[in-house]
Amino acid sequence: MGKRFSHSLDGAAAFRKRQKIAHEAPTSEDVHASRQLQQLLSFSQDPVRARHGLQSFKLFLDDLLNPDSDHADRPRILRDYLRSACPAPADDDENPKRQQELIARNLSADKGKAFIISPTLRMLKEAVSFDGGAIARPLFRARASMLKSLARNMGIVHIGDAAEDSKRPSARTNAILFFLSALKFLHAEAKKELLSQRDIVSALTRDVKQDPPYLVRELLEGLRSHVLLDDKLPREAKASLLNASTLTRLAALYHYRLDSQADDEQPSISDIAHRFLIVACTNPACGVLRQDSGFYPRGVDPNAAIPTAELDDLGLEAIVWMNKFKTEVPVRNYTLSNFLPNLRPWSSVKQSELITSIFKVAPELVANYFLTNKSFTFEPKLSATWIGYAAFLFNVVALSLPDHLCRATTGFPELPPPPSIVIDNILPPPLNQKTLTRSLTNKSNMISFFATRILVVAIEKLEEAIKMHQDASHSNKTVWAEAARRLVDEFCQRSPGIKEMINAYRSIPENDLLHREAASRLLRLCYEVLPQVALMAKFDVSPFLETALARLSKQELNDPRDFALNLKELENLLAIAGYSPGMRWLAASETLSLSPFTLLLKACVDAPHGVALETIRTVLNFVAVEQQLVPADDKHPGLLALLEALQLLRQSSPDSVTHLWPFLDNCLTRCANAPVKYVERMQELIQEASSGADQDLAGAVISPFTVAVLEQLPFVAAKEDGTATVKALGRFLPGFMGLSATAGESEPLLDLAFSKMVTHLSDSKGKLAKAGVPRNLQFQHNTSQPGRETKARKDRHTTARREELQTEPVLDEEALENTLHVPDGLEADNSALIKWSSKTVDELVDEGYLTALIALLASEHASIRKEALVNILKAAAKIKQSEYEEKEQIWLLLSELAETARDNINDGPLPSTIASFACHALNVLRDPLSNLYAKVNIFLTRGPVWSLDKLPLVDEVLSEDPGVGDAFYAQASWLLDYLTDGLRTPRDLELFHRKRAKGPVLERVLALAANPYMRAPLRSQVLRLLYRATRIQGGSTTLTTRFGIVNWLEARRAGCAGADAAAEAAVYAGLRRRIWETCDQDRVRAWSKGGLRDAVP
Amino acid sequence: MASPEKSEEEVATEFTSYYLQRATTEFAEDLDKVRAADDFKNDALQILVSALQQGTVLFSPDEQRRIVTAAARPEGKP
Repeated sequence: MGKRFSHSLDGAAAFRKRQKIAHEAPTSEDVHASRQLQQLLSFSQDPVRARHGLQSFKLFLDDLLNPDSDHADRPRILRDYLRSACPAPADDDENPKRQQELIARNLSADKGKAFIISPTLRMLKEAVSFDGGAIARPLFRARASMLKSLARNMGIVHIGDAAEDSKRPSARTNAILFFLSALKFLHAEAKKELLSQRDIVSALTRDVKQDPPYLVRELLEGLRSHVLLDDKLPREAKASLLNASTLTRLAALYHYRLDSQADDEQPSISDIAHRFLIVACTNPACGVLRQDSGFYPRGVDPNAAIPTAELDDLGLEAIVWMNKFKTEVPVRNYTLSNFLPNLRPWSSVKQSELITSIFKVAPELVANYFLTNKSFTFEPKLSATWIGYAAFLFNVVALSLPDHLCRATTGFPELPPPPSIVIDNILPPPLNQKTLTRSLTNKSNMISFFATRILVVAIEKLEEAIKMHQDASHSNKTVWAEAARRLVDEFCQRSPGIKEMINAYRSIPENDLLHREAASRLLRLCYEVLPQVALMAKFDVSPFLETALARLSKQELNDPRDFALNLKELENLLAIAGYSPGMRWLAASETLSLSPFTLLLKACVDAPHGVALETIRTVLNFVAVEQQLVPADDKHPGLLALLEALQLLRQSSPDSVTHLWPFLDNCLTRCANAPVKYVERMQELIQEASSGADQDLAGAVISPFTVAVLEQLPFVAAKEDGTATVKALGRFLPGFMGLSATAGESEPLLDLAFSKMVTHLSDSKGKLAKAGVPRNLQFQHNTSQPGRETKARKDRHTTARREELQTEPVLDEEALENTLHVPDGLEADNSALIKWSSKTVDELVDEGYLTALIALLASEHASIRKEALVNILKAAAKIKQSEYEEKEQIWLLLSELAETARDNINDGPLPSTIASFACHALNVLRDPLSNLYAKVNIFLTRGPVWSLDKLPLVDEVLSEDPGVGDAFYAQASWLLDYLTDGLRTPRDLELFHRKRAKGPVLERVLALAANPYMRAPLRSQVLRLLYRATRIQGGSTTLTTRFGIVNWLEARRAGCAGADAAAEAAVYAGLRRRIWETCDQDRVRAWSKGGLRDAVP
Repeated sequence: MASPEKSEEEVATEFTSYYLQRATTEFAEDLDKVRAADDFKNDALQILVSALQQGTVLFSPDEQRRIVTAAARPEGKP
C-alpha cells in the first residue's frame, strides 16, 4: 500500500481525489426473495456490482428496522438467506480451518501487498475487540494463524517525507492497533505469551519514532494501561517488553519530530514518553526496577560476620570486598544500567530528570553509571552542553543518601559500604580535582558559580554521610570510623583545595550577591565539615568581613531582598570568623573607617524592616560580652539598650545616627582595649554616688561602655567640628541611659553619669538636665532577650519570673496617667458661689452650677464651705418654687445634704464621698428613666441626715438586686464614678478602707474587678479608682499593706491572656510599678520582709 | 496590619523568581556567550533556566522566607 502511494501527491490533488470517490453513490435494488439476496451478496470482482449488492442489503436491513414500514415477509427472507448461507454441519472442522489458512495467507502476503495485509489486520482488530473481547480467547488459540507474520508486518512502514495519513494507515499502523487491541482484550496468561514473542516485542518499537503522533499516543497509552499498570500481569511478562532496547527506543521519543505543534491542548509526545518512562523505570511493579541495597553492590554481604579481632587488627582491610569496586560496580538493575548510557541528560531537562528519578530509587546505579560512562568530561566550557552537564551533576549530587546507606528501614548493616562507592555518589568521577579546580577558578563567573554550588551540595552530603558513619548504633564503630576518615580523604582528593576556594571567593565581583553568598557558604561549610583542612589554610576572614560590612553600610542595595541576601553572606563570614581565632573585632583598620564590630552594629541598625537579624544580634552580643563592653551578667540584656536606642534614634532622626558612629566606635574600641580601666572608673562613680545620697550601691552596675562614653564626651565636645556629634548625643543619650535603666542597670549610677554628661551636651535651656534619665522606657524593636538565644547564656536560675516581668510591656508614667487619671470632679471653683444666682433652674441643675456649689462643701476653707451651704439652701428654695419637673426630689436631696453638712463643715471639709454622692445623685434625679432613680429616691426618703462615715448606696448597688433588669453593671459603673470622685484626701481614703460589716469598700471594689463577666471599661474604672488612691498621700502604702495590691495586680496581669489583653497587662504592670514608686518603700519592704522589693520591677 | 503569612509555595515561587532575576543580572555577560555557542539549540534555553534555578535548593524554606519577606514591609514602620 505504501508503495502505491509513494509518489508524492500535492495536498490539493489528494483532496480532490478523495472527494470524487465519496460522491459516487452506489446503486441499489429492492429485495423480494432470499435467493435474490444470495445473488446480490455473492463475491464479485467488479466493485460497482459488489457495492450495488451491499447497498441493496443495507437498505433491506434499514427497512427491517423501520417500525413504520410494512415488512411482513422480510424477516422470513432474511432467515431463509441466513439458513442457506450457513455452512453445512459436515464443514464444522473444515470451515474455520480454511478461514484461518486464508487469514494466515493474507497476513503473510508479499510485503508489497499491503492492500491485502492491512484489511486483514483491521478485520482481526475488529474481531478481537468484538463484543468486549468475547471471541478474543478462541482467536488467541488460533494464534499460529492470527499472529502470522505480525512482527514482519509491524515493519511495513509508511514511506515518504510527509507524515502518515490517518485515513490511509500503513500495515505497521494496523498491525500495532491489532496488537494493542489484543493486549486490551486478552487475559493475563495470553498477554504474557504474546509479550514473550521477542520478534513482535522488538518490532513493536523499532520504528516508533517514525510513527504518526496518534499511533504513538495509542501505543504508549495502550502499553501503559494494559501492560505497565496491569496488576494481573506478572513482572517477568512486563520485563520482557521493557527491555533495555525498548526503553532506549522509547527514549528516542524525547526528540520526536512529527508532533503537530499546533495542538496545545494535548501533552506532547515527548511529555507522554517521559511520563511513560518514569513509571516504567521507577515503579517496581513494572518489572524493570529491582530492589537494590543502596551503596552495597550486588554480591556483597553487608552483615558478613568477621571476627572482631580481625576487624580490630586490619580495619577495613579485613573486609575482602571493601576495595573491589573502584572501577566496576556490579548491579541488580542490569536493564536500567544498560539503558541509562543511551540517555543524553546534558541536552534535555527531562532526560536528566529521568536519570535522577531512577538514581533515587536505585542508588546502586550512580557509581555504576559514571564508571561505565567515562567518555563525558566536566572540562569547563561556556556552552549549553557544559551547563546541561553541570546541572545534571548538581542534581545527582543533591540526591539524598539511601536510608541507612543500604535502603533498609530497620537500621545500619554491620559493615560500612565501600568508601569508593559513597564518594562516587558525593562527587561522581567526572567531578575530579582537576576539572573542579579549573571550573571554580574559571574566568567565567557563571562556570565558577556552577562549580561552587555543586561543591556546596557535595559538602553538605559528605557531612550527612559522615554523620551516618558516626551513628551511635554501629556495633563495629572502628571500621565505620575508618570508613568515614577515608571518605574525608577521598573527598579532599577530588575537591579543589581551600586556597582555590578562597581565591575564587576573592575574585567574585562586588555586586554578584548570589555568587558571593554561595562562595561564602562553601567556605563556611569547609570550616564546619572539614575543619582540619580549612584551618590549615590560615585564612584570615577579617578583610572579607570588612568588605561585606562596608558594602552593607554603603546602603547601595535598593532591594531589601538584596540586603537580606547580603546578610546571608555576612552570616556565613561571621560563622567563619567564629571558627577562626584572632578575629580583631574592635580594632581600627586601614581600609575601614569603623571597626568591624561597629560596622556590624551599623548594619543591624540600618537593616530594612522585615530583615531577620537574630544571628547578627547574637554575634554582636557575644562579642560585646567577650570584650566586656557590657556587664557579663545573665540577666543583663547585653547590647540591647545600645541597639534599641540607636534604632529609635534612626527612626526619629536618621542624620543624628550618622554623626554618632565615629564617636561610638571610638568609645567601643577604647572600652574593648582597656576594659579594666572602665570597671575601675565605674567603682569611682559608685563611691561618688554612695557618698552623696545615703545609699548602699554595692553591686550596682552600669555598662563599661557607658563609662567610656562619659569619659570621651568632654573630648568630642571640645573639638571644633564636634558640634554635630554633641547635638546627636543630646538626642541619643537620654534614650540610651533610660533603656539601660530598663535593662536593669543601677539608676542612681545612671543618674550620676548623666548629670555629668549633660554639662557637655548642648543643653542651654537646661531641659536635658531637668528631665534627667527617663524612667520606664520600653524596648520596642528588641522584644526578645538575646541572652536567651545563645546557649551559653541560658539562665538556669529561678529568675525566670523576674526576667519575664522585665520583658513584659509596662506602661510608663505618662501613658499610665493618660490612661487612668480622672480630673478632680470636686475641684473648688469659688466663683460658683456667685454664678448660680443669675441662672434659671434648668441651667442650675443641668449645666453643673449646682454641682459646682456642692463641691465647695469639701473646700479647705471654712468660710467657703459656709457660703456654699447658705447658697445651696437658697438654690434649694429657688428650685422648689420653680416649675422644674423633678423639683421635689432635688429639693429633698439638697435639703438633706445641707442638713448633713450644717453641723460638720465648721470642723473641716465635708467628706468628698458625701459631696461626690450628692453630685452624682443629682444627675440621677434629673433623669427619671435612670436605673438608679428608685434607689436614690429610696435612699433620700430613708432619713433627713446622712451618716458621714458611710458611703451612700455602696451596699444598695453591690449587694442588692439592681431592681431594673440587667442594670447591675450600669449601676456599678455609676458607683465607681462617684467613688472615684469621692476619693481625694487621706480622710476619704480612710473611709474606703475602714472595716465594715461586708468588708472595707475598697476590698469590695477589688472583688468586683475579679468578676470574670465584667467588661474592660468597668475594670478600667476600678483601675482609675486605684490610680486616684496612689495620688493620695499614703495611698499606695495603704493599698499595698492593707489590700495586698501588688499581688492583686500581678494576678490580674497574669490573667490577661492573648494579644488583645497585652495592653491591659501593660496597664496592670504600670500601675504596679507606680504603686511601688509612690509607696513608703521602707515600710513596705519591712512589711513584706523584703519580698516585694524583688517582685516589683 | 501585615499581610497574611505567605504559604510555602508562594514563598518558593517568589524566591525562585528573585533567584533567577539575580542570576541573570550577575551572569548576563556569560549568558550572552552561551546563547551564541554552537550547541545552543532545541532544549538549550530550558536547560539554562532549569540549571540556574536549581540553586534555590541551597536555601532552606526559612531562608527563602527571610529573603522574600524582607521586601514585604515598608521601611519606617516597625
